[in-house]
Amino acid sequence: MATEERRKEILETLKNAVIQYDEDAAKEFSQMALDEGMDANDAIFNGLVSGMEEVGRLFEAQEYFVPELLMCADALYVGLDILKPHVKQLDLGIRGSVVIGTVEGDVHDIGKNIVKMMFDVAGFQVYDLGKDVPLDKFVEEHMKTHSDLVCLSAMMTTTMVGMKKVIDDLKAKNPDVKIMIGGAPVSQDIAEKWGADGYSPDATNALKDAINMISSLKKMKEEAEAKKGS
Amino acid sequence: MPDDAMTPRERVLKLFAGEKIDRPPCFSGMGNVTTEGLKKFGYKFAAVHSDAKMMADAAASTYKLFGFECGVVPFDLCVEAEALGCAVNVYSHVEDILYPTIKTKLVNSEDEMDIAIPSGLTERGRVPLMREAIGLMKKDIGGEVVAGAHVLGPFTLAGQVMELNTLLKLSFKKPDKVGKLLDKLADALIIIAKEYEKAGADYITVREMGATSDVLSPRVFKTLILPYLQKIFSKLELNTVLHICGKTNDIAVFMLDSGAKAISVDQKNDVAETRKKIGDSALLFGNYDPYNVLVSGTTDQVRETIKQCMNNGVSAVWPGCDIWPTVPPANFNAMMDEVKQYRR
Repeated sequence: MATEERRKEILETLKNAVIQYDEDAAKEFSQMALDEGMDANDAIFNGLVSGMEEVGRLFEAQEYFVPELLMCADALYVGLDILKPHVKQLDLGIRGSVVIGTVEGDVHDIGKNIVKMMFDVAGFQVYDLGKDVPLDKFVEEHMKTHSDLVCLSAMMTTTMVGMKKVIDDLKAKNPDVKIMIGGAPVSQDIAEKWGADGYSPDATNALKDAINMISSLKKMKEEAEAKKGS
Repeated sequence: MPDDAMTPRERVLKLFAGEKIDRPPCFSGMGNVTTEGLKKFGYKFAAVHSDAKMMADAAASTYKLFGFECGVVPFDLCVEAEALGCAVNVYSHVEDILYPTIKTKLVNSEDEMDIAIPSGLTERGRVPLMREAIGLMKKDIGGEVVAGAHVLGPFTLAGQVMELNTLLKLSFKKPDKVGKLLDKLADALIIIAKEYEKAGADYITVREMGATSDVLSPRVFKTLILPYLQKIFSKLELNTVLHICGKTNDIAVFMLDSGAKAISVDQKNDVAETRKKIGDSALLFGNYDPYNVLVSGTTDQVRETIKQCMNNGVSAVWPGCDIWPTVPPANFNAMMDEVKQYRR
């Protein structure tokens, strides 16, 4: 087992590896965390995800832009690929699954991929349909997988309109499904009018929402552990 | 009526020439076909992209139906990438309105970025069709309104010919390599834009929305994007507009430095602030939301928004993006009426 001091050092390095989009460091220290007997969850949440939280702040402060964000995400994935097989299944009373994709007519998938990454980190089962996805495909995949969530993304005003049809179809088939829509042209107003359960106008907000979601998962995990300890 | 003092065409040309006009024109440099216009001819949206006569008819119909003060082709953003060799999907199987997208990339990895611009570019893809459509549209309504066309900016075009993720990361990691590609794409865009000019376009809008500050830092915009926009605008003789959507307040001054005669911004730009920054004489077009206001707003909301744009100091009332085709006629009419009533 790594000492507390060593643990902190590894976590700090993982965090900085993500912030400084250093894939080599992310790889080396993720492996080191495992070799030295650290908990993989600890390394993911308190190392890699902490780094991504800081990236979110830098993005919001407009110190980082999309290229930096993509490079940070690459570093996070390098670490995640190493650590994830060693994650002990968390019993949080949540088993999330999500169908995600960019609607037909839209070939932009950067925002969608960022949201997908955060779902991956959170341990969700992610069914990624990719980009330019025919509208019926979302309903089909949801019915097949019984996912808790369906996330629709559109980058352009010209494709956003297709989301309404998917929302209507999904709600008609399964009133309990939660639907998130996202992308530059989407607004709170549109989300409400069309009956979506949540929305994100841009990558900043998508990232923020996803981080909030992860942060609340982290909190639940800590509470669960505190209960176990008492 | 002061409106009779000049035709919409004269008003826009005077605006570009820096002469005094009675009110801001209400036009666009981007697509503005409406479902009303398509209905009039019985055209399907998916079909108008590949037929010069249909494209010209549809483009002219927005002026004829609503008095919108221009005609603009094309309606999609794929002409340039297609001419360079990318395949286009027009979604002919879809009944609803879907804009064409690029199906295949030209550059599949970092090693393939050293592309050659094909010879005879003006005879490739739909460039000849565009030439014909501009001519037909000009013959139809060119005496009354200006004829416009648009091309992408080099960076946005690069995002079509190669994977956008890769392009964005390389623009940070290897800007020299990206710069070389942008330089070539700028050459291609100059050739195509000049062809549109020859065909009779009165103005051309360069759409560089991929380089918005929602995506790239103002620093990268200035060092990596701006030089190639400057190259393009220095080579074109007709009236030019540079359009970038999203957060543009921090790059508005750079946009003017590009050498475009006018800059165009969308609803995310604080136009009053931009006007202060760039001074009274610079041409600033914008900036109503073409979907959330023009399509889904009430007529009162449309009037309020349009008045606000003019009070904030736009030189022309102009949408933040393509006009979404299902715009309700009452909203379109309210917009035109609000502009025509306005006096500085």
